Amino acid sequence: MMIRRWSVVGVTLLTVLWLMGCGEGQPDREDDTLAVSQALGGDDMEGYARAVEPREFRFPQDHVAHPEYRNEWWYVTGNLDDAEGRRFGFQITFFRFALSPTPPESESTWATNQGWMAHLAVTDVNGDRHRALERFSRGAAGLAGAELDPFRVWLDDWELGAEAGNDFPWRLVAAEGDLALDLRLEPLKDKVFQGDRGLSQKSPEPGNASYYFSMTRLDTEGTLSLGGREYSVSGLSWMDREWSTSVLGESQVGWDWFSLQLDDGHDVMVYELRLEDGGVDPLSKGLWVEPDSQHQVIPHDAFELQVLRTWTSPAGSTYPVAWRLRLLEQERDLEIRAVREDQEMDLTVRYWEGAVDVFEAGEPAGRGFVEMTAY
Amino acid sequence: MDTPTQPQAKTSPPLLQLTQVSKHYTEGHQRRTVLDKVDARVQAGEIVALVGRSGSGKSTLLNLLAGIDRPDTGEIHVHARRLDTMSERERTLFRRREVGFVYQFFNLIPTLTVAENVALPMELNGVGSRERGERVKHLLDLVELGHRSQAFPDELSGGEQQRVAMVRAMAHEPALLLADEPTGNLDAETGARIISLLRDLVRDQGRTLVMVTHSQEMAAIADRVWTLSEGHITPTDNTP
Amino acid sequence: MTLLAKALIRDHRKRPWNILFSILGVALGVAIVVAVDIANSSASRAFEMSLETVTGRATHQVLGGPAGLDETLYAQLRRQGFRESAPVVEGHVQTRGETFTLLGLEPFAEAPFRDYADGIRGEGVSALVTDVDAVMLSARTAARLDLESGDRFTLSIRGREETVTLRSVLDTDEPGLDGIMLADIAHAQVLLQRLGQLDRIDLILPDDQALERLRTLLPEGAEVMATQSRNEATLQMSRAFHINLTAMSLLALLVGTFLIYNTMIFSVLRRRRLLATLRMQGMTGAELFRLVMTEALLVGLVGSVLGLLAGTLIGQFLLQMVTRTVSDMYFVLTVTELHLTLWVVLKGLLLGIAATLAAALGPAWEAARISPRDALSRSTLERGVGRLMPWLIGAGLILMGLGWILVQWPSQSLLLGFAALFLLILGYALLIPPALLMLARSLTGPMGATFGAVGRLSARGVSAGMSRAGPATAALALAVSATIGVGVMVESFRTTVDVWLGQTLQSDVYVSAPGRSGVGVNPTLPDDARSRVEALEAVETVSTARRVHVHSPQGTVEVMAVDPAPRTPEGYRYRAGDGATAWQALENQDAVLISEPLAWRLSLGLNDTLTLRTDRGPREFTIVGVVQEYGSDRGLVTVHRALYDRYWDDPGVASLGIYLRDGIALDPALEDIRAAVADLEAPVLVTASGEIREMSMDIFDRTFAITHILRLLTVGVAFIGILSALMALQMERSKENAVLRATGVTPGELGGMVALQSGLLGLAAGLLAMPLGLLMSQVLIEVINLRSFGWSMQHDVSPRVLMEGLWLALLAALLAGIYPGLRMARARPAEHLREE
Repeated sequence: MMIRRWSVVGVTLLTVLWLMGCGEGQPDREDDTLAVSQALGGDDMEGYARAVEPREFRFPQDHVAHPEYRNEWWYVTGNLDDAEGRRFGFQITFFRFALSPTPPESESTWATNQGWMAHLAVTDVNGDRHRALERFSRGAAGLAGAELDPFRVWLDDWELGAEAGNDFPWRLVAAEGDLALDLRLEPLKDKVFQGDRGLSQKSPEPGNASYYFSMTRLDTEGTLSLGGREYSVSGLSWMDREWSTSVLGESQVGWDWFSLQLDDGHDVMVYELRLEDGGVDPLSKGLWVEPDSQHQVIPHDAFELQVLRTWTSPAGSTYPVAWRLRLLEQERDLEIRAVREDQEMDLTVRYWEGAVDVFEAGEPAGRGFVEMTAY
Repeated sequence: MDTPTQPQAKTSPPLLQLTQVSKHYTEGHQRRTVLDKVDARVQAGEIVALVGRSGSGKSTLLNLLAGIDRPDTGEIHVHARRLDTMSERERTLFRRREVGFVYQFFNLIPTLTVAENVALPMELNGVGSRERGERVKHLLDLVELGHRSQAFPDELSGGEQQRVAMVRAMAHEPALLLADEPTGNLDAETGARIISLLRDLVRDQGRTLVMVTHSQEMAAIADRVWTLSEGHITPTDNTP
Repeated sequence: MTLLAKALIRDHRKRPWNILFSILGVALGVAIVVAVDIANSSASRAFEMSLETVTGRATHQVLGGPAGLDETLYAQLRRQGFRESAPVVEGHVQTRGETFTLLGLEPFAEAPFRDYADGIRGEGVSALVTDVDAVMLSARTAARLDLESGDRFTLSIRGREETVTLRSVLDTDEPGLDGIMLADIAHAQVLLQRLGQLDRIDLILPDDQALERLRTLLPEGAEVMATQSRNEATLQMSRAFHINLTAMSLLALLVGTFLIYNTMIFSVLRRRRLLATLRMQGMTGAELFRLVMTEALLVGLVGSVLGLLAGTLIGQFLLQMVTRTVSDMYFVLTVTELHLTLWVVLKGLLLGIAATLAAALGPAWEAARISPRDALSRSTLERGVGRLMPWLIGAGLILMGLGWILVQWPSQSLLLGFAALFLLILGYALLIPPALLMLARSLTGPMGATFGAVGRLSARGVSAGMSRAGPATAALALAVSATIGVGVMVESFRTTVDVWLGQTLQSDVYVSAPGRSGVGVNPTLPDDARSRVEALEAVETVSTARRVHVHSPQGTVEVMAVDPAPRTPEGYRYRAGDGATAWQALENQDAVLISEPLAWRLSLGLNDTLTLRTDRGPREFTIVGVVQEYGSDRGLVTVHRALYDRYWDDPGVASLGIYLRDGIALDPALEDIRAAVADLEAPVLVTASGEIREMSMDIFDRTFAITHILRLLTVGVAFIGILSALMALQMERSKENAVLRATGVTPGELGGMVALQSGLLGLAAGLLAMPLGLLMSQVLIEVINLRSFGWSMQHDVSPRVLMEGLWLALLAALLAGIYPGLRMARARPAEHLREE
């Protein structure tokens, strides 16, 4: 889950500004494309820090923002059940994007070069619909930001934070309208660092990379309210942390990203970068995480992804909703199916992000989340 | 002077009938009687000349006949309609249809051409424009002014103006023609021409004319002459 | 009726000046009304649009106390779920001779509020947020200021100079943005020196429940108001000013109406013989009535259309004056568009046509009454007018009586006041022809004695030509009386204000923070300004003042907190209350002084209470005095600084009044004070009280400049009236004059007669205008001004104003007499003798 954020954020920066004008304008496909290509190479990245070489991650500092990089996110997705077997998927993301490399020199507490966006989505698998919400704010005057002691990242009253100090357990609180989440997160595995010790190369040019680490298995429990009812829920979540200044190459148009938590204790991440010509970029890759947090990169030639079924959204995009994923080294043959087709995030930036089931040899073998952009 | 044409039979009902008509004026604190229980009648086709000294009530009588003024007592019938009980508006409309007027000072509308002046009374009476045009031409030819139809009144001599005024007065074929010293403002020669023309017109068109005049010549063309004095009419019959 | 129409049209073509004057009269009257209407509505519309632009779709606004809102309140409200909310910092800045409202916005929160943010797009906005000197303007405004994206320019903000960069232009034509400059809220805070504070928070509240919940979250001193009512209250501020202008324009139309009457009646009388002939031909009186009314309708239509065109041009000019006055007196206003609505056009047309028809009623009636007999004989035209005189006197007295009753009627209604004024004027106008007749008759002897036969003839000519001379003189007298009435009122006002300034400016020198304005929080002096000044040897004592806007249940009121010097109380003049004890009460009790306008507006008197929203919540204050104050037409509450500090957390001081020791010369003291405050952290203004007095009077004069213009325009209308009446009189007399010429009167003597007649009319108008002018000034001062603003003033009649009125009338009449005089003198008698 990386590049997509790139483009998401790149698009977002522009669309936020668009949004401020239109109120509820929905950028069309052309705008999307334009924005992506701008995010790729059109923008002036002069003055920003670049992810050129592996870094030494330090905690708790790396839990909060790196404003010298253009983009950054805190990304939590998960699958939850209540006691009666009602099933939910959820996603909350805090995006940070810098408007300029350095903050303005001003005495005002409102002065900042940081913009924030947050997305919240809940899939009621057996219920009526998928819900997706978004918010924007400047990263100043207490409106949005990330800070330590105690750790928290927030936009208005959506907040992910430590109950005390900076360590887990963390609590995720977000509500709007008849939708509310109040979840407690506790890691079951260590952090895993993607790519080369956390440096995730996205296109060949040096610096077109991100710093990227994940917490692939978070024990999750709490309450979820929907449509006036409150459910006691529990399940597993996955959290990604990633920051960078530029990633996508010229010919990359979008991606399909999978995070799977298998019943046998393994976790899998793979993504495919789709090219303009319909092919797949060889820099696409994945990560195999053992139950004991040991992990190894899955190179592009070590997995095969095949679309089994597609679905066309009301907005007109046709997304894959069932896949076959073959991990050649691990000798696993997984079938992935969306728990429901309708999980499009019909927001300022439109993409598909939703809960999936994993089957192996026809038997349930795990759960996960899939993200697909630029369809 | 030609032999006057025979007037119509006196047995037919009169066109104009005055019965016991009186009119007084109050000047300061003095009440002056201008007409005192006057009885008179005019047959259709007759020409009556009204003579008398200044202030004898000639103009008053003319105003009564035109429906401009109302008598204090008595009845006035014109064309079998009683004039003295009509409202101001009814009298105006009566005048529009039934009366033609020839003034001493011509009173042509200075801003209308000769033809338009003659056409005006027909237009007021709703005569269609085509018929209007034909009649204007005919009438102007009668007074030998066909060639001046597009001239404005101030481009005409006094005699010409009065000729226009005469055909204007007859244009809508009124039952009664009234004239107030029509030659009073003209030289003797022109006046004589106007008189004979007026007589011919009245006879040819079959009109009835009551005219105020000082001139003996004028009075001579009349069938009858009424002399007004001390509020009374003394009729003189000109007919043999 | 085509031949009839032809006859009449050709008649007008023959004597075009008659109908041209009618049209001119309508056109001028309508032009002035339309011009004022356009100026007023353009100013109001521009202000409404800029208010809409500034407030956007906000349903409510959270407003702070005198010191503004604590900025942290915004984040609190958002976390409480009030997410359709946007913080605003605003203030006035000047650049290139124009004043702008600098609007500090949070672009991320703007989407639900302001449409023009539509233009915020692309990199422009991120620069707006990240560049400390970035501002935005609409494309129109940028073009007007000759600025392009990327240009740097200087803003003057409360005496400071700041350089900013036009980061990008908003691609919108919205005229509401004409006076607005946008900046990121952070940089606006710095530019306006409002760190830590907001001026307001705009909100979209879905329902009353949300409103109630919001109220529980607000700190004391903060208040939530419906945007609608706040905007309306702001618009109301200048209402009285606009009504006054409209009334003055209607006066011009009234004068124009007399002029129309004048020319219409003349056109009827002149065509008497023609009309009589038509009657003889069988036209009814009703038909002639309709005929004249149709003519009037055409005159009214053509005149009104011309008036609309002229009014649009004059309106442009007036708009500048209105804008300046409104900006001086009420709120900063930028108007770039003439607001010409269908409604304004229709109103102008209807007024013009209605006035013409009303004026034509008399003439049309006159025409209907013409007897066909008049075609047979010559009758004198003036018989009817003489008969009318008793009726005129009766109607005039009744109207004036009604007016007088309305004046006495206990009411605060400004419209009723104007109704009374117009009744008085109209009634008086009806009395003018009889008065003129008497005057002319009584002058026949003296004028004969002085000028011989020519003089006698002139005077007789006036009384004989009453039907024309009467209305013309009335029109001129009305116009002149308006200049006298308004002149006396302005003069009285000016004297009163001048005297008041002399009393109220007790200090010798004032030190103030520059940039007081109606928007945002007013500036304060740097903290050490007072101590530095007090340390000077020349200074005996210092008083302080701070003027702020405070909310009350009756709307926002201006409060001045005064820390008095011993002599400060002497500067107050009490309309009610006891000056000796008031200041004691002010210091120790919950007591306030209020100014006359406030007392009038809120119907408050001595010992009543006034509720103000303090930082400790709403509090009631006892009124211990009503004082004269001409600085604010909305009213001012004066409180003691001790009380202000008890109830408001706003320690700043905006100005110091400095009392010099006895025997200290002003100029060196000024220099000392300037030196002492020169290196303060923010610039301050040091002004001698005499200078303030001068500047105040300058503003006063500028405010009334538009009034003078309207006065002159009204006289212009009357001038046309006199001109046309004299022409009519002389044309009417042309035969008589020809006889005079034939009997040996020289052209010079004839011209002199016309001049004398004109002079006589002018003199009469001038003399008759005086009582009406004085009456008008009385009503303007005692009724109109009081009801508009609540101000009392001393009635100050200067002979200068009266003499000016007289000269104006004479001059107008003599000028108007020149052309007819020349014409008469040049005319060849033979021509006129021959005519009929």
